[in-house]
Amino acid sequence: MLQPMYIQILALVIFTIGLIVAVSRRNIFFVLMGVELALNAVNLSFVGFAKTLPSDMSITGQIVPLFTIAVAAAEACVGLAMVIMIFRNRESVDSNDFTNLKG
Amino acid sequence: MTNLPLWFIPLFPLIGCIVLGAIALISSGSKKGPSEGIVGALSVLFPALAFVSVVLLSFNMPEGGIRSTLCNWIDIPMFNVDIGFLFDSLSRIMLLFVTGIGTLIAMYSLGYMHGDRGFARFFAYINLFLFSMIVLVLSDSLLFTFLGWEGVGLCSYLLIGFWNHDVNNCKAANKAFIVNRVGDIGFLLGMLLLMTIGGSNILNYDALNAFINMIMGSAENANIVVLILSIAGICFFIGCTGKSAQIPLLTWLPDAMAGPTPVSALIHAATMVTSGVYLLARLSTMFVHLTAVLHIIVIIGMLTAFWAAVAGLFQNDIKKVLAYSTVSQLGYMFMASGAAAFDASIFHVFTHAFFKAALFLGAGAVIHSLAGEQDMRKMGGLLKKTPVTACVMIFAFLAIIGIPGFSGFWSKDLILERLYMMDWVVPVEFTIPLFNLHYSFEILMNQVVYVVGLLTAVITAVYMSRLIILTFFGSYRGSKESEAHIHEAPATMLIPMVILAFGAVFAGYFWADSMGIKYFEESLAPVVGAAQAVIHHSEAHVGAAVFAGLGTLAALLGMGIAWAKYGKARIPAAKGSSAPQGKMATWTFFWDYVHGVVITVVNAIAWVVDSCVDKLVQFAQWLVGGIAEILGDGAASFQVRKVRLQIALSIAGVAALVIVVLLTGGLI
Amino acid sequence: MLLHLLVLAPFVAAILMVATSKEDPKSSSRLAFLFALAFFGMSIANIAAGNNATEAYEWFRIPGAKGPVYYFLNSNGLAAWMVFLSTGLSLVALITARNTTCKNYRNFAIGIFALMGAMNGTFLAADAVLFFFFFEAMVIPAAVLIAGFGGKDRAKAAMTFAIYTLVGSAPMMVALWYLISQSDSSLVLSLAKTLQSLPEGAQIAILVSFLLAFMVKTPIFPFHGWQAISYSEAPAPLSAILTGAMSKAGVFGFIAWVLPIITLSESVLSILSTMMWLGLVTAVYGALMALRATDGKKLLAFSSMGHLGLAVAGVFSLSEAMLPAVLVLLVAHGISAGAQFLLMGIAERMTGTRELDKLGALSRVTPVFGTLFGFVAILALAIPGTAGFVGEFTVLMSLWDMGPAPALVAGLCIILSAAYMLRFVQKVIFGEQKCEVTGTRMTALEGSSIGIMGVLLLVFGMHPAFITNALHLFDEQVIETMVKLTEEKSAAVDASEELGEEGAAPSSIPGVETENDEKISELKSNLAAEGLSEEEIASIIQQIHEMEAEIAAEDAVEGGNK
Repeated sequence: MLQPMYIQILALVIFTIGLIVAVSRRNIFFVLMGVELALNAVNLSFVGFAKTLPSDMSITGQIVPLFTIAVAAAEACVGLAMVIMIFRNRESVDSNDFTNLKG
Repeated sequence: MTNLPLWFIPLFPLIGCIVLGAIALISSGSKKGPSEGIVGALSVLFPALAFVSVVLLSFNMPEGGIRSTLCNWIDIPMFNVDIGFLFDSLSRIMLLFVTGIGTLIAMYSLGYMHGDRGFARFFAYINLFLFSMIVLVLSDSLLFTFLGWEGVGLCSYLLIGFWNHDVNNCKAANKAFIVNRVGDIGFLLGMLLLMTIGGSNILNYDALNAFINMIMGSAENANIVVLILSIAGICFFIGCTGKSAQIPLLTWLPDAMAGPTPVSALIHAATMVTSGVYLLARLSTMFVHLTAVLHIIVIIGMLTAFWAAVAGLFQNDIKKVLAYSTVSQLGYMFMASGAAAFDASIFHVFTHAFFKAALFLGAGAVIHSLAGEQDMRKMGGLLKKTPVTACVMIFAFLAIIGIPGFSGFWSKDLILERLYMMDWVVPVEFTIPLFNLHYSFEILMNQVVYVVGLLTAVITAVYMSRLIILTFFGSYRGSKESEAHIHEAPATMLIPMVILAFGAVFAGYFWADSMGIKYFEESLAPVVGAAQAVIHHSEAHVGAAVFAGLGTLAALLGMGIAWAKYGKARIPAAKGSSAPQGKMATWTFFWDYVHGVVITVVNAIAWVVDSCVDKLVQFAQWLVGGIAEILGDGAASFQVRKVRLQIALSIAGVAALVIVVLLTGGLI
Repeated sequence: MLLHLLVLAPFVAAILMVATSKEDPKSSSRLAFLFALAFFGMSIANIAAGNNATEAYEWFRIPGAKGPVYYFLNSNGLAAWMVFLSTGLSLVALITARNTTCKNYRNFAIGIFALMGAMNGTFLAADAVLFFFFFEAMVIPAAVLIAGFGGKDRAKAAMTFAIYTLVGSAPMMVALWYLISQSDSSLVLSLAKTLQSLPEGAQIAILVSFLLAFMVKTPIFPFHGWQAISYSEAPAPLSAILTGAMSKAGVFGFIAWVLPIITLSESVLSILSTMMWLGLVTAVYGALMALRATDGKKLLAFSSMGHLGLAVAGVFSLSEAMLPAVLVLLVAHGISAGAQFLLMGIAERMTGTRELDKLGALSRVTPVFGTLFGFVAILALAIPGTAGFVGEFTVLMSLWDMGPAPALVAGLCIILSAAYMLRFVQKVIFGEQKCEVTGTRMTALEGSSIGIMGVLLLVFGMHPAFITNALHLFDEQVIETMVKLTEEKSAAVDASEELGEEGAAPSSIPGVETENDEKISELKSNLAAEGLSEEEIASIIQQIHEMEAEIAAEDAVEGGNK
């Protein structure tokens, strides 16, 4: 039987990888992918915790990731569109070049 | 026709003003301008209607006058004033000659302003002026009088600057208005002072008189009231100095000659400038109790009369001579008021209106015939070319210098006599310590004032004779071409002049003291008689004949001096401007210098405010803005350039929060 | 209903204007005229209706405040005339803007309607928070309009204007929040009650922060930095509204939101007399700056500042005649300054410049315009017979109550105003011609609408009773409503306190409290009916409170002895 704890550890590992990717890579696509990864890790964590509940209630925990997936899809759409726009304007995918917000 | 409502009198010129103003406005776009016939008829009609209604009312006036309250004007807490009219013997006399001379001058202007582009506008202003002047004279309260008081100032402004394409005219107009404004503030403060002791009711003349009689009757706290009243009296007198061109607010009147000559005749000689004298007479009940103020008035009047007479000697511009002469004559009127001879001062106002208006209209006819030339040095010998004008002016001249039989003689003689009868002695006491000398004597101020008045009469005769000699005698000194164009004025101008000349000769017989005719005095007695009785006069030790003789002598002496100096001598050819030069200018423009100092000070303060204080405020504003900007920059510098670092920092922040929560077991 | 329409309908009109064509100013201007005319008619009906108020609807609750914020409108003589100014000037501004801002007339009209709604809300609000909401809301359309339609320096002008006014009212916001967190509701009566119960230091801090907001808005001397630049850079029709109606919000605030809530203790009185002197300094300052101004609109801006300084000085003279005097002055100034700004705008449109030295002789080139210009300038000079005179003279009288010195200073201002106004007239319409008239000339509609403003000044000058009659700030009905609302609130609070476990203070028995309040409200309305001013009423009521407190203390002592 799969221990719920293992699922949480896996989720933590994936989340950490996602964060590290998001922080350490300069390519904006990788940053985006890292964020996605972190998001999915959280989904996994939700599902894992849902497993610990009695079966009639665990459905509640499994619905939340569905919403998150939907939101993540929208977020990915917007994020990619923004990245493409930025690339068109800047001719670069290096996040270090994006300093417009400095004011 | 006694039931003719009083408000009809000002209504007529008001309608005239509105109608003519509308015509002027509507026709301003067209090339040709409105028909002069219609405009002219309308512009004489309305003043004439006002004159007729005044005459109708005059015949049936009851002894105490007619009072009528039209409606309420301002009604707020502490302040309630009605619009009301008071038609008594004082306002009757003023109204008769205001509307009468106004009508005549409107008629004269038809000829004078012929062909001017602003024909309708001019008469709209004239009608507005008559409306204001009638309100000034006819109102029954100080506040409503003030409406007319500022209204005439406004019309004066509009008419001085009538030919507004010339900036100098505009400046003269501005000067007139602003100087008058200074005086008007005095008037306002005077009203406020009166209100502090008696509430807003006291602004009504009847209520004021009743109040003063009551206060003076109960001698309890009269002292403090007299003090307040004295300050109020000085404030009102400041108002009068502005309107009637007395020291120190007199510089605007000579400059006001920039306006069309009929305006000078009507506003700046006959009517508006005498409203100060009218106000003093109107408030005579108050002023007779304020001996100190009366003395100030005498001194100011004396100084003004003398100063303006001397300044009149130096002028080359024919209108300027008349302007200074007006100031000087106004000085006489104020001297009379200060001697509490309000009836004599009003009488001089009355006769002066005729002879000065005749002089101005004559001067206007001369200027008209010489195509705008005003410099007397370029005139001469006009007696033969324009005989009617010359006769009118000479009659008026005889009146102003006081030749017996003419109107000026009666009024001026009366004033000098009353001045001499003043009871005013100034004790002087001083010691010179070094020699241990002690002096103590008395100055008989009445004699001093009388002598100065007589001296002024001599100077008056000199400059007026100079004017007449330079203009009408000798030979023509202008250019040959202009000589051919000299022509007598048209009939519309001559008829009013001749009527006024008759007035200048005969108006004095309303009060020919030495002939026993005292009609004028008797008719004014209900208004100023009681007040004048308060003042104690010294007994005249001198017979009336002596005064008359001295006055005549002064006039003849002045004429003689003028004849000796200007009759035979070559007049130097005119060069440059007609303004006096050198020491003469110093004398003439002395008060302009004084005003200049005040204006410079105000401008300097304005400069300081503009370039220092305002800059300081702007600097403070900039400083605050700058500090905010620096702070903003500082905050923005936390916004590091790198996106990844930003993410890392936020993760670190979350981690720190989690640790804090774990360690403290939550903040709550 | 009328009041709701006056406040809300302009916003609806602004939204409806969006539907009109952007390219076609003709149709959009017609719609805008119609709307503006309707609002103007409503404001006149509102004046005719006299004091009236709407129901008080609960709007929302501010966290930390005891009571709710009401949507409660109340019109009295003062507010009705201010609304008259805002709607009337907006109407004329929309008429003249037709030829001044041809492009994008639609957007201009939208902004003007939004501004009008906010101004009406400011003047009509009976709830302090609602007032503050509209007071701040006014700034936004005005700043947007300056930024969108102004002259060369418009960005800076809009920035300065917005920052100054918003920052100026920030302390007021804090003070207001503190006050309503202490009081039962944000209606003026409970604010007054609360303020009087606070310690003196807090009272003064609150007073000063209120004053600050209104001083910036008016503007009063050290806080006037935004005024000249905004008025001169704003399009002339907007300047007319800004000076004629919006700046009145400051003076209105002094009268309607500061004076009724304060207690006249010694230190407060000294602050008020300082305010009076600041008003006089502003008057002199404005006049002197106007003397030196070289830009026609700046001259008018400083002249407005001078007149409003005089009005503020009049307000803080606290004389009995103050309220009608200041109201007449405000109405007169609103109309005359508005008309002058509009005329200056037309002059600028015709000649393309507003430098005084480059203008001249307009009376010969365009006689009708010249006549109108001179006419309005003379009306602005406060010649007797015009509304300006009635206002200035009665304000002078109020100042005279404080002693001769303030009156003398005010007299000096009147002289200076003659000087700069005549200089202005001379430079613009007289003298030699220095510029060509190239732009669109004054149209008949513009001329007649400005002419009507001039005639109105004359009418009000000869019969100021139109303005001064029936001028009561608070009529009985409104006071009753306010008291009722406050009582409900306090009863509820008391009830909840009794229910609470902590236990209510034994002295607060709801029945007695309401009884007292009822008595006081009765007393208040009686006193108001007798024509006493608010300050006097407030002081009387405070005395009563003090007496009651003393009696209660004695009772307590006696009870203790027994």
